[in-house]
Amino acid sequence: MDTDMGERHSDRTASGRREAHPDTYAHPDTYAGAEGDAGADAAPARLLAVALREGSLDAAAERRAVEAFRAARAEGAHRAARAARTRRRDDWRPREQRGARRSAKATLALLLAALTVGGVTVAAIGAAGPSDARPGVRRAPQSSPSASGTPAPRAPGTPVLTPAPRTSNAPSASATRPDTAGDTTAHCRAWEHVKDRGRALDATAWQRLITAAGGEGKVAAYCAKRLEEATGKPGNPGRRGKPAGRTAAPGGKAGR
Amino acid sequence: MGQGGEPRRARAYDGELGAAVARAQEGDEAAFAAAYRIVHPGLLGYLRGIVGDDAEDVASDAWLEIARDLGRFKGDGAGFRGWTATIARHRALDHLRRQRVRPRAATLEQDVLDLPGPHSTHEQALESLSTERALELVRALPRDQAEAVLLRVVVGLDGPAAARVLGKRPGAVRTAAYRGLKSLAGRLGAAGVTKDGHRTLGESE
Repeated sequence: MDTDMGERHSDRTASGRREAHPDTYAHPDTYAGAEGDAGADAAPARLLAVALREGSLDAAAERRAVEAFRAARAEGAHRAARAARTRRRDDWRPREQRGARRSAKATLALLLAALTVGGVTVAAIGAAGPSDARPGVRRAPQSSPSASGTPAPRAPGTPVLTPAPRTSNAPSASATRPDTAGDTTAHCRAWEHVKDRGRALDATAWQRLITAAGGEGKVAAYCAKRLEEATGKPGNPGRRGKPAGRTAAPGGKAGR
Repeated sequence: MGQGGEPRRARAYDGELGAAVARAQEGDEAAFAAAYRIVHPGLLGYLRGIVGDDAEDVASDAWLEIARDLGRFKGDGAGFRGWTATIARHRALDHLRRQRVRPRAATLEQDVLDLPGPHSTHEQALESLSTERALELVRALPRDQAEAVLLRVVVGLDGPAAARVLGKRPGAVRTAAYRGLKSLAGRLGAAGVTKDGHRTLGESE
């Protein structure tokens, strides 16, 4: 074990007097030189290593260790342990790798945060009109699953805005439809209540709706079609408690 | 995996060891035996330094645990040295605790009687060092110095890994290893010249 390190030792000792050498050398031969002049340089380290390791390999001891390995393997202990979460004391990966893992986590967290903020923003845009109509309405940002790109169906109990009175007969959007469709139907449902209020129509969401319909006059027809499409969809599980977040507008009829 | 190009990781057997450990984790028995043969001498040397004659027994216990928990280990060859050293150290401390409860005659006296005479020259000292003499020297060091020296020099850990095994700051371990080696060097190289001059270093710290 000593042969290849011999040459390295010699050039190590030349600069070996520096304390706090940036690298830490594990090998006996490079060790003492790297750490500083210990009087006899690497010799004591090497002698110690050789002397204490001498005669250490014993066939019977090795057999016992291998038998233990075999027993653990037969029990499936290795497989089970690998599947388990890594305990800190078992994680001896180089620091760079552990760091990379951490930064991957951080990236994911950042991404999630961005998505959440994005969802809130979209929800806020969608609610721009209604908020004029009824400032007291509480809006839950998480009530916009489509905005955050996760169209997974929500449990009926998910906290959202109180469903507007009309929701019972108003068709609700399915959780699996694409974003724009959800926005559109929601805006369409709210349209009747804001169309006569000039200021509300300035809101971006309404402008977008008008553009999509191809003119203010065509919104009614456009919306009728959209709402029909939405209604035509079979079975909307859990719709009652769900998309109301952006349908806050219907509550607008009670507005000032 | 993860050699990183760092000098400290460019150690002779670490690549081979890392590969053997990875294969052993997949269930390769021969690879486990290969890893054993690479790691065991250092582990046993370390254990000899802290538990003396019982090192074989303690090492055997440690290997049972290593074999059982192998699947949990994550890391490369250098990491495996650190992981196994940690396990060996825990087994050794358990052993010492049991011994303290049920003390027995120290074996050190016999070792002292067997000591070779002081080496007359530096060259002679460099030629060889018996296991017994090496043990006597190491055990004369304060415990923290002895452990730091053993982990660095005999097990072959780098500074941060040795510090992790000992649960100490790398700086403290570096200092302890440095002092320990310096003390050893003094005793080895100048044993015939300075007589007892270095004896007191053993109590320093």
